Amino acid sequence: MRIRLDRLSKSFGAVQVLHELSMTVEPGEFLVLLGPSGCGKTTALRMIAGLETASGGRIFIGERDVTDVLPKYRDVAMVFQSNALYPHKTVAQNIAYPLVLRKTPAAERDRAVREVARQVQLDALLDRYPRQLSGGQRQRVALARAMVRRPAAFLMDEPLSNLDAKLRVHMRSELKHMQHELGVTTVYVTHDQIEAMTLAHRVAILNQGRIQQLGTPREIYNDPENLFVAGFVGSPPMNFLEGAMRNGAFAGPGFGLNTPAAAHAGAAVMGVRPEDCRTVAAGQGRIEAEIYATELTGDHTLVTCRIGEQFAVVKMDKNYEQAIGTPVGIDFDVDHAFFFDAASQGRIRMPTTPAPQSA
Amino acid sequence: MTGAVPPRSWASRLFEPRRLGRQAPATRVLVYAGLLFWTFVVLFPFYWLLVTSLKLPIHVADGPNYLPFVDFTPSPHAWHYIFVEIGRDTFRPYLNSVIIAGASTALAVVVGSMAAYALARIDYRPKLGTIGLFVVALAAVVVAVIAFGVPWQLAAVAGIAVFVFLARALAGRFRRSVGNGDILFWIISQRILPPVVAAIPIYVMFQQLGLLDTHLALILTYMTVNLPIVVWLMYDFFASIPTDLEESAQIDGASRYRIFFDVVLPLAKPGLAATSLLVLVLAWNEYLLALFLSTVDAQTMPLLVSAQNATRGPQWWYMSVLIVIMILPVTAVAVALQKFIARGLLIGAVKG
Ligand SMILES: Nc1ncnc2c1ncn2[C@@H]1O[C@H](COP(=O)(O)OP(=O)(O)O)[C@@H](O)[C@H]1O
Ligand SMILES: [Mg+2]
Repeated sequence: MRIRLDRLSKSFGAVQVLHELSMTVEPGEFLVLLGPSGCGKTTALRMIAGLETASGGRIFIGERDVTDVLPKYRDVAMVFQSNALYPHKTVAQNIAYPLVLRKTPAAERDRAVREVARQVQLDALLDRYPRQLSGGQRQRVALARAMVRRPAAFLMDEPLSNLDAKLRVHMRSELKHMQHELGVTTVYVTHDQIEAMTLAHRVAILNQGRIQQLGTPREIYNDPENLFVAGFVGSPPMNFLEGAMRNGAFAGPGFGLNTPAAAHAGAAVMGVRPEDCRTVAAGQGRIEAEIYATELTGDHTLVTCRIGEQFAVVKMDKNYEQAIGTPVGIDFDVDHAFFFDAASQGRIRMPTTPAPQSA
Repeated sequence: MTGAVPPRSWASRLFEPRRLGRQAPATRVLVYAGLLFWTFVVLFPFYWLLVTSLKLPIHVADGPNYLPFVDFTPSPHAWHYIFVEIGRDTFRPYLNSVIIAGASTALAVVVGSMAAYALARIDYRPKLGTIGLFVVALAAVVVAVIAFGVPWQLAAVAGIAVFVFLARALAGRFRRSVGNGDILFWIISQRILPPVVAAIPIYVMFQQLGLLDTHLALILTYMTVNLPIVVWLMYDFFASIPTDLEESAQIDGASRYRIFFDVVLPLAKPGLAATSLLVLVLAWNEYLLALFLSTVDAQTMPLLVSAQNATRGPQWWYMSVLIVIMILPVTAVAVALQKFIARGLLIGAVKG
């Protein structure tokens, strides 16, 4: 079912945590709320579930205005950041509890529990108690408990945090497959950009209680709206060089380059991703720099370059080798550079910037 | 989660659990010697009671002899006296104690844990002004009754009516309020003064009500006296249950009562067991209030024990018998509740 937030606000006392959040999650869509810790993701999710009251704005699930509806009547299933398993119930009893509350007949309930346990590979553990399970197994019980009924929406709060890296990758693909199979609208909260990029149909990037950008992972990556989104998504993060824009040129201490004519004038920040840059012989790139450090990360080398007082990282081949202090040039395609207004942090659109490619 | 291990002080290392089998022999000997010594300290009074209950007065007067058949010849005379000669006068206080301690404990635990749960989960903001108003109304009632001779029933009803009316009329005007922490402190502060300071007012109250020397008077008094302890202890237990569990149940469609009985109570069992035991022991052993409120019909065991120290001096042998049979039921309850007072019930609820 469609979930629609209409200028949703939340304050705890004098602190405003969410500012006029508006977005629509389409039926069957997997939407990821991505943002740094403390930006209000959990609060937003809890408001959709009905665990927090709205200070302002409305929430719709389907056609129904649920803003003032109790959680039990909203028909959503939630996976808590802390699993929230009932420690005195076995795995089977935990998973069955939502059905018990719905007075589902016992035979049907058993069948549903066994079916969902098989999907998350818990069939062998049904008689255990949560304390006898590993972190990953507990997380799967929490998922199974949400999946055992067909709710109007799944709400998941960082369900894969606390798993070790390998299991997380596995559970990520399981989750994506499961959501695709069930086709249930899902709002998924995480601070992990890889999780967001891999799972989401669309990503909403949240910072300090405001949506910064809402789009497909590709749009977010290729066409960031502002400095925050540009810096938050991507690993290693985008390089930022401070300077000023004047008469179609962007110049900073120790460098200057022509840009496609832009109306903007004044302090600006240029962003360019490490994988869009390469180092070339001194004097041949767009920017003159000097090698500050090189780090081999396995399949590539990260080259940190110093440009005056600023630094930029360039992603190079794994066989790249240069001595520290060597003067080099940094080259990139101007189409791959983003410009942001230093004051408003907003994107400065270039006339020739290609329209965002759709996914 | 595995974070950096903080450096440990020698004090914290001192209290870390360690496996005895891994210690040096000398340490083990020391530890076992300490444990044996403490076991002796704990168990010796019980032994003393048993031995004394089997002595004749003349053996007691002989001084500290502890070995039956060696130092003295045991005699069942005290047991005979307590169970046969005054049997009916032993049995009645015993039954009184069971009824009064049992009922007051049950009431205190039920009422107190519900109050504690409410305090742990709901934010109360009583207005200071309303509380002040209540105090003023109460004072007015007291003055009216004492100084002007108004019948107390009439004054109470009038006082309540005036308070309710004024509170409703003025509620919007009051700004300053107190919170759950203040309420909790107020509740436990009821135990800062020993209950016996209120003994005379309580006595007069039950006298006015014609309830002196009844089970009801003692049950109500013990319940009231023990409520703060139950609220205080259970508050901590309820507060330690992650709210996520209850919210999860809420989303899955459980009502408040369903949540309380399905999720909260099973997890609070250790707390309930420990608290019940503590409150039961307090009520079982209470002496001073029982002395005020009961004479014959509602007399409890502690009074009977102390009655053995009457005109003829302390009758150690009778006291010992009474204390032995007093200890037994509480010990049985403690053993029965032991299995609930297990720790770690919450393990696995949330990721750590
Ligand atoms: N119950 C609450 N009372 C007061 N402040 C809260 C409460 N819950 C969350 N906050 C605050 O709201 C902000 C957002 O919290 P949260 O939604 O948990 O962030 P996130 O999940 O994105 O890490 C934080 O600054 C947090 O301190
Ligand atoms: Mg959170």
